[in-house]
Amino acid sequence: MIAYLLNLATLATIFGILAASLNVLIGYAGIFSIAHAVFFGLGAYAGAQLALQFIPDVLLACLAGGAISAALSLCLALPALRVRGEYFVAASLGLQMMAVTVFSEAHALTGGHGGLVGIPPATLFGADVSGPAPFLVFALAVLGLLLLAVRLLMRGSFGRALMAIRDSESAAEAFGKDVRALKTLAVALGCAMAGVAGALFAFYMAFVNVESFTLEQSILVMAMVIIGGTATLAGPLIGVLLLLLLPAGLSFLPFIPPTQIGAVQQLIYGLAMTLLMIFRPAGIAGGRR
Amino acid sequence: MLFLQLLVSGIQTGAIYALTAAGFALIFGATRVFHVAHGAAFALAGYSFLALSQAGFPWFVGAGAALVVAVAFGLFMDFLVYRPIQRHEGSFFTVFVAAFGMSIVVQSLIELGFGRGFVVVASPLTRAHEVLPGLYLADIFWVAVGVALLLFGAVTLFLERTRIGIGLRALSENPELLRAFGLSSRRLSMVAFGLGSALAVPGAVLTAMTSGLQPAIAAQVMLVSLAAAVVGGIGSLRGAALAGLLLGVVENLVVSVLDTQWSAAAGFVVLFAFILFKPSGLFGQAVAR
Amino acid sequence: MGVPFSIRGLDKKFGGLAAVQNVDLDLQEGVTTALVGPNGAGKTTLFNLATGHIIPDGGEVLLDGKSVLGQSPHLIARMGVARSFQDLRLFGRMSVRDNVRAAIEPTAWLWQPGGGSAARKREAAVDAALDRCGLTKQADARAVDLAYAERKFLSVARILATGARIWLLDEPASGLDPHSRARFVQLVRDAVAEGVTICLIEHNLDIVTELADRIAFLDRGAKLAEGAPQEILRDPKLIGIYFGEQRT
Repeated sequence: MIAYLLNLATLATIFGILAASLNVLIGYAGIFSIAHAVFFGLGAYAGAQLALQFIPDVLLACLAGGAISAALSLCLALPALRVRGEYFVAASLGLQMMAVTVFSEAHALTGGHGGLVGIPPATLFGADVSGPAPFLVFALAVLGLLLLAVRLLMRGSFGRALMAIRDSESAAEAFGKDVRALKTLAVALGCAMAGVAGALFAFYMAFVNVESFTLEQSILVMAMVIIGGTATLAGPLIGVLLLLLLPAGLSFLPFIPPTQIGAVQQLIYGLAMTLLMIFRPAGIAGGRR
Repeated sequence: MLFLQLLVSGIQTGAIYALTAAGFALIFGATRVFHVAHGAAFALAGYSFLALSQAGFPWFVGAGAALVVAVAFGLFMDFLVYRPIQRHEGSFFTVFVAAFGMSIVVQSLIELGFGRGFVVVASPLTRAHEVLPGLYLADIFWVAVGVALLLFGAVTLFLERTRIGIGLRALSENPELLRAFGLSSRRLSMVAFGLGSALAVPGAVLTAMTSGLQPAIAAQVMLVSLAAAVVGGIGSLRGAALAGLLLGVVENLVVSVLDTQWSAAAGFVVLFAFILFKPSGLFGQAVAR
Repeated sequence: MGVPFSIRGLDKKFGGLAAVQNVDLDLQEGVTTALVGPNGAGKTTLFNLATGHIIPDGGEVLLDGKSVLGQSPHLIARMGVARSFQDLRLFGRMSVRDNVRAAIEPTAWLWQPGGGSAARKREAAVDAALDRCGLTKQADARAVDLAYAERKFLSVARILATGARIWLLDEPASGLDPHSRARFVQLVRDAVAEGVTICLIEHNLDIVTELADRIAFLDRGAKLAEGAPQEILRDPKLIGIYFGEQRT
């Protein structure tokens, strides 16, 4: 039971980082990306390769994952600077679909469909942190640190400028905000955080493959942020807990056959997304509109 | 001959895509709703046809039922999902998330009802004949192309010649004109959703008889329609149909040059390139910044 | 008296339609100029061209005699040009105070230049602007939740707090009740007294006569006349155009 709870807590922490990172894009910058799993994946592959080829240091892996994702976030920043609304959603969708193909075909880097296996146990400055409890503590520390950073940034002028752009791009420009630079930075920040989450994920699972970085994953993370409430610190975390506890809770219900749990779970979260958008579009943690 | 064979199957796929994408474009053009649950209408129609065919009903009963189900679903989305959101001035993303949630719901319901696997309705139409040395063609090719041309012609006539059709085209651009015409925008949006959803039916029935259905088809169709609508120029019926045809052909032809895995991605590379370099699409007006 | 802002021979076509053609306009220091003309005369387009939101097809935009043509809007804004929008474009989901703060912060990075003393000065400027616009009580409300007049004043407060020396105001007083309108007129007069150069688009001719030192009359993208308010507003031909007399 303890092991089960530790597992759930670690996954919730990793997805907490992921959801908080998407919240930077969706909630604060108004960039509605549905390609977030791509950057989660990039971080995971980068972290896994670092561990496999060089050194299984989890902190270094987080930095590498973040750096790779931030660098490639330009692929997302480019359409974000050129188009908006439906067009951007379509562009990010295109990016997501292309990335999945690349992930499953670039065998040398990603191991293809088989993925990267045998990622060594995580160390931190030479000490073993791969046990469930130490790893959870490390992941929580990363989450705490990143949330603190997001809070500081979003409460400050950077966050105000981003939100100004979100609410009215032309007015933000008319008050001296460099929209291109700020949007690019916001995308880089959000994607870098997703990369960090990916690196942690790779170590925790000791195995990564493309299945974890598909459109479904992007939608799941988006649902976490939206259901929890955008542009709040707690919202995405609430969303993560709800959507991770849901399958756990369902497996305790005797009348659902185990093979159908996946579909029932999808059904519930699809329904939750639609109903929330109709009745409470700001999410559970958000204020009323 | 391989090239010709791939071209022919590309045209068959493309005809189905073209009709479905035209439905999506019709709805978007008239109501400005990014109806990503359009794929769900397609899936529902396909599975209705399948269920009745398996129960032993003749094909036209199945097709009729598919039509009723698809139109009912379109109207249901308009009345119970989009209208309430638009009433409290939800942003486009609110609409998008709600529609996405509904397509997840539909997909999981189908999974619960019909299982995850591929299902096909057997039909004598799909038996292939050798028309040229090495070139095989099934009668269904002619059905697909014929139905697509016929319906596209009929819809174009409807939009250009009838009062309601002209009203549909004016709905998003010129609401004053509607009042002068004595048409109500509520009724017109019903017509758009009904007609647009109906356009997904032939594709669904044909797909059920050829490549077969699976629950995830809703998402695939949604992606293709969306890509075709953007590449064609959002809101342009002609553009969407042409781009749908193009995507079908490209998807099939890519196989002759690259591995099959790349074929699905090819369409999205086209989509991404269009958004970056020509966001107005083939036939669209310039995107308003 | 200097001419901090001037426009020379500005041209802009939209799809073959001339929105602005060959317009010259000088904004003289401390002088309030009103742009007057029927709907569709190209007044707002002229603002968009002046602030870099739209790139002109031809002509010059000079700030202190130096060309700023082709510069992006945020750079032109940083040189001391502030504008309002007809549809306000407030930062809707942010608080009133944050709207003004976001408008005046010189950079968006973690540290603002000038450290603590500059930060205190900025807060004082925000407080002063909110006070002068009568928004102190609503400082923590979200912009979308404000009443109509309050939103209009918030759009002015954003400009006021920046300390910009050139204001371009797009229909700032439309729809205001008499009390609010008086407050607005006083705000503009105070700003002019502090040396601000103002150009405003306004349909209400009472406000124009109350505030403007000069009027530039636009119709169909061209400047038909410019001069003192009495001259322009007594010209029967211009007034005819303004009130939509049949044009031949």
